[in-house]
Order: sequence, then structure tokens, then C-alpha cells
Amino acid sequence: MYDIRPLEEEWKRYRKKKMRPWYLGSIVFVALLFLILFFSSNTKMSFNAISDYFNSLKSSVSSKEVKSENAQHTKSNIVVNGPLMRIEVDKQVLDESESVESEGIENTPANILVDIPILDGKQDERSNGLGKERKKIHLDIIKTTNLTAYKDVENRFKLSRDVDDSLFLARSYYKKGNYKKSEYWALQTNKVDPNIEESMLIFVKSKMKLGRKNEAKNILTAYLKKSNSHEAKKLLYSIENGKF
Amino acid sequence: MKSRYEAAKNVFVDSVDIEDYIDLDSSVAAYKQLEYSLDKPLKMILIFGKPGTGKSILLNRIQEKLKHQKEIHYFDTPAVNEKEFFHKLFKVLTQKDLPSNSEVNFSALVEFCQNLRGKREIIILLDEAQMYGPEMMEKIRLISDSRAVKFVVSLHKTDDEDVIAKEHFQSRIWEVIELKNATKEDQTAYIHKKLLKKNLFEIANSIKAKDMKLIHRFTNGNYRECNKLLFTIFEICEYYDKNEPSKINYTHIHHKIIEMSALKLGYINV
Repeated sequence: MYDIRPLEEEWKRYRKKKMRPWYLGSIVFVALLFLILFFSSNTKMSFNAISDYFNSLKSSVSSKEVKSENAQHTKSNIVVNGPLMRIEVDKQVLDESESVESEGIENTPANILVDIPILDGKQDERSNGLGKERKKIHLDIIKTTNLTAYKDVENRFKLSRDVDDSLFLARSYYKKGNYKKSEYWALQTNKVDPNIEESMLIFVKSKMKLGRKNEAKNILTAYLKKSNSHEAKKLLYSIENGKF
Repeated sequence: MKSRYEAAKNVFVDSVDIEDYIDLDSSVAAYKQLEYSLDKPLKMILIFGKPGTGKSILLNRIQEKLKHQKEIHYFDTPAVNEKEFFHKLFKVLTQKDLPSNSEVNFSALVEFCQNLRGKREIIILLDEAQMYGPEMMEKIRLISDSRAVKFVVSLHKTDDEDVIAKEHFQSRIWEVIELKNATKEDQTAYIHKKLLKKNLFEIANSIKAKDMKLIHRFTNGNYRECNKLLFTIFEICEYYDKNEPSKINYTHIHHKIIEMSALKLGYINV
């Protein structure tokens, strides 16, 4: 066997030729996958909403987060739930004039639906423990509440562990009447930050809705032992008196 | 130092050697059919199949097995001309050499055969019968009509040879045995048995099922092509074993080597 080198060379050429369809197939597959992913992510967007959003950039302004060095400061917390195109603003205003001068400013769309508070008139203890006046603004850009959007938020929470995401899910699912999920997400919120009363209340309310009254009462009673929450007391009263 | 692949290579040297005969399901069936047909009062039996399907080795085997029981003669290569063929036939029938400067009288030969009827039963195995011309085949038919001489005619299966078979034997051949290419399982058994017969266990084990599939794909189950491919595979293995041992895996025959062999034999091309 003296022709082994030319034979090896020939085999290499054969191999290349043989593998060519596989390489091409792989490239086509990757390209298709990319296109599918690209279009599937695009379908979640409302193009009207985007154009509206850009049109309104000049006119609408919203505070994102303001951290002032002053003792009297304004704290804004903006949660943008990307896939849902939903903006939530927890705004605690001590001095309205100061908030206008706040550092973090973000433009918001014009077609927003303002003031859809979840816990109207309730104190947000996590934002400020001083018991100051609080105003919560819930802003919706578009009404996208499809399942994939929720999934996206769930996935994002898994990565970021952001309580705003989990609390949003807990609230949304509770509103929708999906109490199992609202219970789960309230629990997740509580795991990350046990000081958020709202998550505790949603948790208890979800349990009640699921018919686990005793469990709900026990949790609420335990919670009341370490906190003096008015809301919690109100809820316990309504549960005990069968008004819930 | 002698390479282990050298012996393996020599196992697949293509030859019609009765010692190399391997019993496979298909070949055993063909053998039994032929043996059974020879016992029947047939004048002619046709064995046909593509080249390399084992026709010659089947004829050899039947001759080897029956030579002590029957008067059986194997004509391996076709005679160059009619004269030579009848010389051979004369010698078989009369068990005498033809005197020099004399020729066989065909009519006398036919008459001689007719006289043998009931006394002797002679079987002539004619290999590569596609080489005989139509005129010659007609004469063979006339001799077979004597019923004292039985012909087993082996033909390559091509369109032309089918015509010969139709024209000259259709009414006289009472038994047709077709040999086909081996199935993957038969070919696997064939390769393993051939190697194991020479105690090459390790090499037999180094050819895995996937390799067998590839070999079958390249050779279409043809025994001759299989021998050629295996010979080339072990030739390459032998080269690597002697010169570049790092390129060889002793527990498994690499697909690269099988493909290189196929390239060398022209089964595939770039």
C-alpha cells in the first residue's frame, strides 16, 4: 500500500463533500431558529403602542426613582414589566415640588391608564417606614395580559429575584382569580423580602379563597404577633366574622 | 514484525476455494435446492445470479460433496471453441482421451449418450455458461435430451443472458435457482465466520454492527465486492499498523478506513 497519502487526501475531500449538506442544514436550521425567535418576540409588541410611546416621549414625564440626600426625600419606584408593556409607579410624595426636580426622570406614554391602585389607601411599609402620605399610581400602557407575558415576567423573576416582579404576579393572579398562583407568587415575594406586608396579605387572602381558612388565620395571627399592622388586623377581623 | 492485519487481509483474497466456503442461511438453502434438483429426473438446471453471488463456489461445493456418490464433473472455464469443449466432454463420457488428430463427431456423441441412458447418470456442471454461444448451447441441449447427461448451467444474470436462457433453455430447464446478494445479516455472518475460521477473533470483534452496515451499503451484499473491500480495509490497517500505529484503533475499525477503501475501489468518489 503505497498510495495511502493520496487516498487520505481524497478521503478528506470526500468527507468535506459528505458533510456539506449537514453544515448547510445546520446553518439553515440556526437561521430559521433565529427568525422564529425574532418574530415570536416581535409579535408580543403592539406596534401602535410603540408609535404612541414614541409620540408621547416629549409630553409625558414620570419619575423613576429619586434618591435625595435630604432628609425629606422623594422616592419613586418604577417597575417596567417589559413583555407586558406595563409600568407601575409607586410614588411616595413628601413634597410634590421636590419630586418634579427629582434626578431620575423617565418619559412615559400618553395613553396610559392612570390610577389603578391595588391597595388603595394602604400604607406601603417597604417604601417608607415613617408613615408618611403615600400615593400609588398604577400605569398601564397597553392591556396585554396574555400567558406568555406572565411567563416572561416569571422567567425574569427567576433571574433577577426582583420582588416587584413577584409581587406584580401575585397581585395579577389574585385579581384574575388564580389563587393558587397568587399564593405561590406571594410566597416567593415573601421569601425574597419578608417585610412586604402586601405579599403577606395576598398570601392569606389567597389561602382564604382556596378554602384554607384555618391556615390563613394561623398565618395572620402569627404575623400580627410581630407587627401591628392595621390592615392585617382588619383582615383577621373580617375572616373571623365571616365577612371575607 | 508481522502485522495482525496481514492474516486478515489474506482471508479475503478472492478465490473459489472450497475450503473457504461459509455456510450461511441463503447459501445453505441454495445448496439444498440444488442437491434436491439433482435427484430429480431433470435434464437441465439453471443457476443464475449477479457476478459475485456465489455461483461458482456453489458448483464447487456440490461437486466436492457428491463426487463420491455421483458421476459429477465441473467445467470451470468455458472452452475456447466448440472443438475443445467436445474434447473435454468426450473424455468425461468415455473416460478416454481423444486420439490425436481426430475430432469428435457430434452425431456419434449424441448417439453414445443415448446408449448410456439407464446405465450411467452423468452430471456436468457448466460454470460461466454465458460464454457459450447459441449454437453451442443448442448442442448441449441435444446432448441433455439423451437423459443420460444432466447439465447444471451457471449464468450471470444480465439482460443478454436472460435472452439466452429464454431462447435455449426455456422449454428444457425444469429447475431454476437464483442466487441473490447477501442480506446485511448474512454478510455480517459471512465476514465474522471467515475471520473466525482463521482464529482472528479480535479482528472479527473490531468490526462493529455500524461498520457492517457501511460495508453492506458499499458492496450491496455482493460477496466478491465484500472480499475486495475487506481485503483493502485490512491492507490499509496493515499499513497503519506497521507505519503509523497512532492512526489505528485496534478495538474498532474506523469508518475513515472503510471509506478510504471504498474510495480506492471506486464505490464512492469525491
